[in-house]
Amino acid sequence: MARMKFLCDADRCIECNACVTACKNEHEVPWGINRRRVVTLNDGKPGERSISMACMHCTDAPCAAVCPVNCFYTTADAIVLHDKDLCIGCGYCFYACPFGAPQYPRVGNFGGRGKMDKCTYCAGGPQADNTAAEYIQYGANRIAEGKLPLCAEMCSTKALLAGDGEIIASIYRERVSKRGYGGGAWGWRTAYREGVQA
Amino acid sequence: MRALLLAVALLCAAPALAQNTVPFTARDQTSAEELELQRTLQGGTIHGRISIPDDKAANLVQPEGRAWRDFHNRTLYTVGAVAVCGVLGLLWLFYMIKGRIRIAAGPAGRTMTRFNLLERANHWMVASSFIVLMLSGLNLTFGRWLILPTLGPETFTMLTMWGKVAHNFLSFPFALGLVLMFLLWVRDNIPNALDLEWLKAGGGFIGSRHPQAARFNAGQKGVFWITVLGGGAVATTGYVLVFPFFITDIAGQQWAHMIHGVLAMLMIAAILAHIYIGSVGMEGAIDAMSTGQVDYNWAREHHSLWVDEELAKARTAIDPGAKTAGAD
Amino acid sequence: MLIKRSDGKVARQRLASAYQGLSGGGLDRRGFLRQAGLSGAGLAALGALPALTARRAEAGPTNFAQPITRRKNMCTHCSVGCTVIAEVQNGVWVGQEPAWESPINRGTHCAKGASVREIVHGDRRLKYPMKLVGGEWQRISWATAVDEIGAKMAAIRASSGPDSVFLLGSAKFTNEAAYLFRKFAAYWGTNNVDHQARICHSTTVAGVANTWGYGAQTNSYNDIRNAKTMIIMGGNPAEAHPVSMQHVLTGKEVNRANLIVIDPRFTRTAAHATEYVRLRPGTDIPIMWGMLWHIFRNGWEDKDFIAQRVHGMEDVRKEVEKWDPAEVERVTGVPGAQMERISKIFATEKPSTLIWCMGVTQHTVGTANVRALCTLLLATGNVGSAGTGANIFRGHTNVQGATDLGLDVTTLPAYYGLDENAWRHWCRVWETDYAWMQGRFGSKALMELPGIPSTRWFDATTMPGMKDKPATGEAYVQQPDNYKGMVVFGHGGNTVTRMPEMLKGLEKLELLVVADPHPTTFSQISNRRDGTYLLPICTSFEMDGTRTASNRSLQWGDKIVEPIFESKSDYEAIYLLAQKLGFADRMFKNIKVENNQPLAEDLLREINRGSWSIGYTGQSPERLKLHMANQDQFDIVTLRGKPGTPVAGEFYGLPWPCWGTPEQKHPGTHQLYNTNLHVKDGGGTFRARFGVEREGKTLLAEGSWSKGSEIQDGYPEFTVAVLKRLGWLEDLTEAERASIEYHFGPNIDRASWANDLSGGIQRVAMAHGCVPYGNAKARANAWNLPDPVPVHREPIYTQRPDLIAKYPTLPDRRGFRMPHLGVSVQNRSPEVVKDFPIILSSGRLVEYEGGGEETRSNKWLAELQQDMFVEINPADAASRGIRDGGWVWVMGPESQSKAKMKALVTERVAAGVAWMPFHFGGWFQGEDRRKFYPPGTDPVVLGESVNTLTTYGYDPVTFMQETKCTLCQIRAA
Repeated sequence: MARMKFLCDADRCIECNACVTACKNEHEVPWGINRRRVVTLNDGKPGERSISMACMHCTDAPCAAVCPVNCFYTTADAIVLHDKDLCIGCGYCFYACPFGAPQYPRVGNFGGRGKMDKCTYCAGGPQADNTAAEYIQYGANRIAEGKLPLCAEMCSTKALLAGDGEIIASIYRERVSKRGYGGGAWGWRTAYREGVQA
Repeated sequence: MRALLLAVALLCAAPALAQNTVPFTARDQTSAEELELQRTLQGGTIHGRISIPDDKAANLVQPEGRAWRDFHNRTLYTVGAVAVCGVLGLLWLFYMIKGRIRIAAGPAGRTMTRFNLLERANHWMVASSFIVLMLSGLNLTFGRWLILPTLGPETFTMLTMWGKVAHNFLSFPFALGLVLMFLLWVRDNIPNALDLEWLKAGGGFIGSRHPQAARFNAGQKGVFWITVLGGGAVATTGYVLVFPFFITDIAGQQWAHMIHGVLAMLMIAAILAHIYIGSVGMEGAIDAMSTGQVDYNWAREHHSLWVDEELAKARTAIDPGAKTAGAD
Repeated sequence: MLIKRSDGKVARQRLASAYQGLSGGGLDRRGFLRQAGLSGAGLAALGALPALTARRAEAGPTNFAQPITRRKNMCTHCSVGCTVIAEVQNGVWVGQEPAWESPINRGTHCAKGASVREIVHGDRRLKYPMKLVGGEWQRISWATAVDEIGAKMAAIRASSGPDSVFLLGSAKFTNEAAYLFRKFAAYWGTNNVDHQARICHSTTVAGVANTWGYGAQTNSYNDIRNAKTMIIMGGNPAEAHPVSMQHVLTGKEVNRANLIVIDPRFTRTAAHATEYVRLRPGTDIPIMWGMLWHIFRNGWEDKDFIAQRVHGMEDVRKEVEKWDPAEVERVTGVPGAQMERISKIFATEKPSTLIWCMGVTQHTVGTANVRALCTLLLATGNVGSAGTGANIFRGHTNVQGATDLGLDVTTLPAYYGLDENAWRHWCRVWETDYAWMQGRFGSKALMELPGIPSTRWFDATTMPGMKDKPATGEAYVQQPDNYKGMVVFGHGGNTVTRMPEMLKGLEKLELLVVADPHPTTFSQISNRRDGTYLLPICTSFEMDGTRTASNRSLQWGDKIVEPIFESKSDYEAIYLLAQKLGFADRMFKNIKVENNQPLAEDLLREINRGSWSIGYTGQSPERLKLHMANQDQFDIVTLRGKPGTPVAGEFYGLPWPCWGTPEQKHPGTHQLYNTNLHVKDGGGTFRARFGVEREGKTLLAEGSWSKGSEIQDGYPEFTVAVLKRLGWLEDLTEAERASIEYHFGPNIDRASWANDLSGGIQRVAMAHGCVPYGNAKARANAWNLPDPVPVHREPIYTQRPDLIAKYPTLPDRRGFRMPHLGVSVQNRSPEVVKDFPIILSSGRLVEYEGGGEETRSNKWLAELQQDMFVEINPADAASRGIRDGGWVWVMGPESQSKAKMKALVTERVAAGVAWMPFHFGGWFQGEDRRKFYPPGTDPVVLGESVNTLTTYGYDPVTFMQETKCTLCQIRAA
């Protein structure tokens, strides 16, 4: 079975935010929920790099480990999903997540942050694939249609790669060997406990 | 304005730009994984810039999440399990050995007022909210392993959800009660030399001799301070978590949660002991907080100085104007 | 830290609440649908329930039980030309899929392209025609609107003449709409017709066309993959053309190419450069001449290329002599060692390409800048082959096409100009009587006189016309009367400099018509109370038609859904107006109109029939549709159709020039002036546009010709006379000959490759391997321009008044019917700089486009940039007590202008330089004008416009505005 991962090639990412709006478009994500975002390090200085970040679908996911109601589950493709009907909005996954992926519909409303929302790797939720119920809670299920996450598919410079970890790592390695250097894959060591060595 | 003009003059005078033109230097090609590893080891967040007005979103990688997870899934489980189970075990052992502590002289039948209505009402407000807070808190920590398999996910979520709501809202009576409790009882809870004596005597639990005590003995003072300070800290850290990002950032919330969790577990342990001794553990103790009237003999045995004091007060109260016999 | 975070929340809450007022912001999808239902009811109560609201509630998850149609159109934002694939179900655009097959974007998008579906959901679109009555917006019907507008236009025509109505078109038009709008202006009787190219690349078009013949990108985005060295100057494609960066960065990786970014601002593009050069804004020519100084000194120039294909390089050498490294550093701030390094790389590690954008063009020396850049390419032989060339990234979707089709005050479609020959040519194409056409104008002189461009329309409103021309030397407009009415199709009101002055003009207009999907800044910025009409126009997604990408490729877009609400297409709106004004029958003589809808295919066929001069003749609707259906059959580097496919050998989108008739099957021209290819295979030479000889020297190429040419030397453009001399006249077919004789009669010798409607002359020239427009030299010396060889001229408002004496701007003059001040404004600089010490520059953000009304109304984009800001260097911020994210006032040196915005403290800009995005509007000098928008049409995000602060300054050739280099002062608010 494939082991799905995200890889953002920081040497290609130009902070165009296509991944962000593609996600909004595909899943009709409301204002204030940022399943994916682009962060720029060293802004305005030599060495500036932008990196697109969302849920990395970690190996041994911290969110799942700390969830008090055990609402997370991992698919056969190693995509980390959760069941919003079980989520109590406690915020533990946000404390544990190294990538700030969990999002809550309400920011500071006392006591109720609402059901946690995060990147689904365009794989929907626990309901039947591509039903209205699934769409309302989780958005589209492209994986069930045999497609990959739209953020990566629409990435303007093909910096954001999604797919089987082995394949995207080899694409990245090929690029690195062509250009002669590589900045590495942000988040990989934290998420997958391994780097991409080229 | 003068500074402005000066700045203007400086800008005009020199080809300022030449100085600002930094030749492009080779970019830092340190591997992201390396940097990430370094930051993880140093425990630092990798923070950048993001256009949406949400500072927390500008954290690219937040390695502290791992540390928090370790805390939550190891430290807190261990502390909680050891503290709660340990205390329950000790109490059981104590009960087995000593049984219920009786009033040595037997009930006198005469009673005296130990806590007035306000004191009792406040105690029970704190106590009842604490129990719900404790149960819902323990459920958040251990329920996934202990209760979820029995109840099934949907029922367990409902239980936990309500538990969370109760946990959030009952924090208010709890915190309010703590403040009142502090105001009502702080005067009688200031530690003094007598407390050392009491502690040396093992509070009367170990031997059979009852050490002297005023209104509150050292053990009760301990409970008071654990409740007020510990409860205060737990409440404060709790509010940090209930209002996410209003007070502190993610790192602050992680710390708040850790303090909240550990202190809460320790408090639970202490309060379990308090509950034991205040109910099944000691004959006559429960009356103090139920009716407010305690048996005279019970009071004599446990709070001799307080009884003396109360009697003295009573005497003056009988005839405030009268001179004490033999005063002349 | 605490303060900063709460700031963020305040902003978010403010926006969220503003947003929730009308749309489903901050709600989950269920709530969103509920609200959609509610708004439907609200509209129904108003009288007419547009079908959309009912349909919209169904949008969302793909229902696999129902058939899904996939339709292709082009992204309506920048000029890269990304294909958008829409999934349509029941007439609703339900999903967007990556267009893998497009050789241009290969499935990808930027933030704007990935969110275009929202445009056609259109919560904040203008929903029905509106009219301002006593300061209140009133809903009216289309019929009433057209009636009243037409009547008012006719009244202005009667009292002041047709030139008193300014027709402002759009770079967002399809080619067909752009052409139709230009044609409308002709039939109305004015040359006062313009569009956004004026303010983006008019100087590029002028500079490039005056150098080697055509005003367009010479190569393509894809071709950049072949370059070994790229210089991006005054451009930030990472934000303005993100998908182009796919080609740039792939080229950089595959060839290990050098990517040099020359820009005053350390942009997102510069972050990916191998070398970044920071210059002082407005010193592009010294950089170019400084590079050429090293190149000539070290003999790195391409001597053969210069000898064969370049005229006047020796004049450039003389100018370049003055720019030794010390002087370059003194003026630009760039150190000599860096100049030498980049010069060597550019000249020796070839092929090299120069990529530029508005950082080069939007200057008082815009045309000269462009000419200097072209000269660098010519000197190093980097034009006319793969991986080289002037890769000019244009701004809007169809700014190239709209320029080509003559939405311009100086020309008819296809750059024919305005002289009698040009008018006669187009009258022939339109089958309209020339005398009738002339009668539509104020006079023959006005018919041939360039109009007043979009950068000066408000001056033309406030200054008197010749009717009231002042006796003294005061400023006046050289036409019968000043502007009284303005009809704007798809053009923001905040995109032109000097907004405080613009407001005065706006308030003086008797008629203002804004035909746009959104009400735009024009609707709310002024204190007009009457005489303003808003017409809802649909986007290009809701109509058929072609768009020309920056690389000259035409792409056919299919209507994805019917126009939403009561909006109509540009075609229909123009038709209705023409009908009201009484010339629809003549204007649409050869165009089929069904239900008031002119047919896009017929419009394109008419363009094909007339646009010989730039080869817009071979791109028939059928051929373009075939390309769209076979997008996956094109190579991504060469753009050529793969063998054995229906598009074998053709270049994608038939990039113009695509010579001859569609039947001649010219493949289009991927790389202009490429002598390595046969002309029939997309080859070319420099255009013989400026005569054959000057001062005793030939202007024709020497020893250079395109592959397979029977004339193995330079030659002039083809006319019947030339054919006769070559003995090739007999090669014309009977029909071609008959057509030429019919149209030209006794003047048959004057029939040329550009005006022969049969295409015979082009066919015969190409049959002999010759390029129809001739084979000449490119001009390093363009003698017809104010500066034949570009010279450095300090910006009008300069931070370095010490340089004015040596590098003054041009003297005051007149142009485009208007006075044009130069030196008299520049002489204020020494005083102005004392109070306004910071250079103010402006540019693009990736999330927004142009004036931003459309993109700021798109909630998916608006969320990403919620506040107008100014970038300020930490040193300048510290000395002013300004903190990152805090509010500041920025003051401009004209009209006591000021603007309130947030500070972004960053080293992206150097000390003494500030930068602002230009997409914001809706605030003016600190006032939030949200309530002045027609209800329900206010964009999600509003903010101050940079053009509130920008100042006087125009390029002498095109009246391009100066936006990149003025002065300002900033203080904490």
